[in-house]
Amino acid sequence: MISNRQRQFYAFCVAPSLAVLAIITLLPALYLLATSFTPLNLTRPETQWDFSQPLISYGQLLVDDRLANSVWVQIKLSFWTVSLQLLIGLGVALLLNIKSRLLEALRTVFLIPMVLPPIVVAIIWKVIYTPDISPMHGLFKAIGWNVPALITNPDWALTAIIIADTWEWFPFTMLMVLAALQMLPQELLDAAKVDGASPWQLTRHVTLPFIQGVLLVAGLFRLIDSIKAFPLIYILTEGGPGSLTEVTNYYSFLQAFNFSYLGFSSAITVVLLAATIVLSWIIIRSVGWGTKID
Amino acid sequence: MQALAIVLALLALAPFLWLLVMSFKTNAEIFRFPPRLFFPVTLDNYAALWTSNFRSSFANSLIVSTVSTVVSLVIGVPAAYALSRWTTRSGATITLWILASRMAPPIAFTIPYFLAYRYLELLDTLTGLILIYLTTNLSLVIWMMRPFYDQLPRSLEEAAWIDGATTWQGFTRIILPLSGPGLAATAILCFLFAWNDFFFALILTRTEAMTAPVAVVNFMNYEGWEWGRIAAGGTMIMLPVLVFSFVVRRYLVSGLTGGAIKG
Repeated sequence: MISNRQRQFYAFCVAPSLAVLAIITLLPALYLLATSFTPLNLTRPETQWDFSQPLISYGQLLVDDRLANSVWVQIKLSFWTVSLQLLIGLGVALLLNIKSRLLEALRTVFLIPMVLPPIVVAIIWKVIYTPDISPMHGLFKAIGWNVPALITNPDWALTAIIIADTWEWFPFTMLMVLAALQMLPQELLDAAKVDGASPWQLTRHVTLPFIQGVLLVAGLFRLIDSIKAFPLIYILTEGGPGSLTEVTNYYSFLQAFNFSYLGFSSAITVVLLAATIVLSWIIIRSVGWGTKID
Repeated sequence: MQALAIVLALLALAPFLWLLVMSFKTNAEIFRFPPRLFFPVTLDNYAALWTSNFRSSFANSLIVSTVSTVVSLVIGVPAAYALSRWTTRSGATITLWILASRMAPPIAFTIPYFLAYRYLELLDTLTGLILIYLTTNLSLVIWMMRPFYDQLPRSLEEAAWIDGATTWQGFTRIILPLSGPGLAATAILCFLFAWNDFFFALILTRTEAMTAPVAVVNFMNYEGWEWGRIAAGGTMIMLPVLVFSFVVRRYLVSGLTGGAIKG
């Protein structure tokens, strides 16, 4: 049992953090929500606290074609990046899970894309996608392929972003799967081997079921992060050509900070935030399940 | 299998190495294809950065990242310890709140901060940036340190209490000294988060408080496409990150997942 003195001490330790978090996260969230009920336009200051038509921005959400397009772009981007990152990350993790000094050193090398500052990742891919200076385009030209500049080409722009994003984040899945594989009890593998299982059967029936929980959590984290995709899009395509790579987060940024429609942008952002909170809640639930496997 | 792994590693590294090499090339060399393996190495790009605004932006990045890390640790570590020892019924709500703060799209904070800072005159100030970095870093500290304290047995401080130590002394003299590795890893991850940020700084700063990631992007927009300088600036930004990341690579997973998975 803890005494009153201890309880007081614990409260004294927790209070500053909760107070600061309330001021820096809860208050802004409420401010965002309040702004979403106004038609705030920075060029017209009188719209700041105008609550006469609280749902006007939310009404616009439903009829804005460009927003609908951005949601569709978001779905395509999220689907492809999350699936590719899970597949490639899992593949590389299984490849590196063999006991060897060299492969252990390589694990660290594979982490580099993920730990680079996102803006540096965006610059790296800007170089690769700019035909004048790109080694990739130089190579294509040398073997006689005439490849257009991918990020300005309507057929390829989104794919170019997907490739860059997958490169940046497949190590995340790899790292989580490798961590989970270290918990895999050796007896389980030995027992299956005694029963004559082939390496493929071992992977399919022992390893994969063991790590499916971790894969789910990795996928959820990447899904949330894919909603926040910004530096790659800002640097590589600026949402273009047209609005072919304009995801919802980017569209909200444009509305707020290029067109000054902060009220409308707030409404979009409230919906995005709600989606993130739901996904976070699902993560908390599934992590409880994930730890049972551990 | 090993050969395949090496080929894949080289493929994964190539884009990164290309930028690194580019930062030591002259402009003429950057546009040459096929590239020469042995080219005249130049430090001109770095020298150009030193004489430009990039230098003060780099200093801004250092200040903002360091201060936000220190403040988060000072406020967050005692809270992490207390939350580990003291189970309350509102635990699940606090958990969701902290994880959601960590996961929220940056624009959700940027809009209200931008509006509020116009009145508080915090736009384009280092203080303004430090405050918004706390949103993520304070949650990160609590999230990473709590599981760490869960692993330290209670009998440690209980023994000290029996010897007459106060609860405060039990924490500062027994628990804190044992938290060294966890504290170091958490501090580095906080620093990296603030250091890597682009979005908050893009919107909340103009000139005075501009950080290095925003400054390097400005080489693309306003001063023409100075690839050499962009590559050199990018390299300067990523070097501390690479060094720190290797120090804490064991803790990367729990940092990125906000502690949901232990690596």
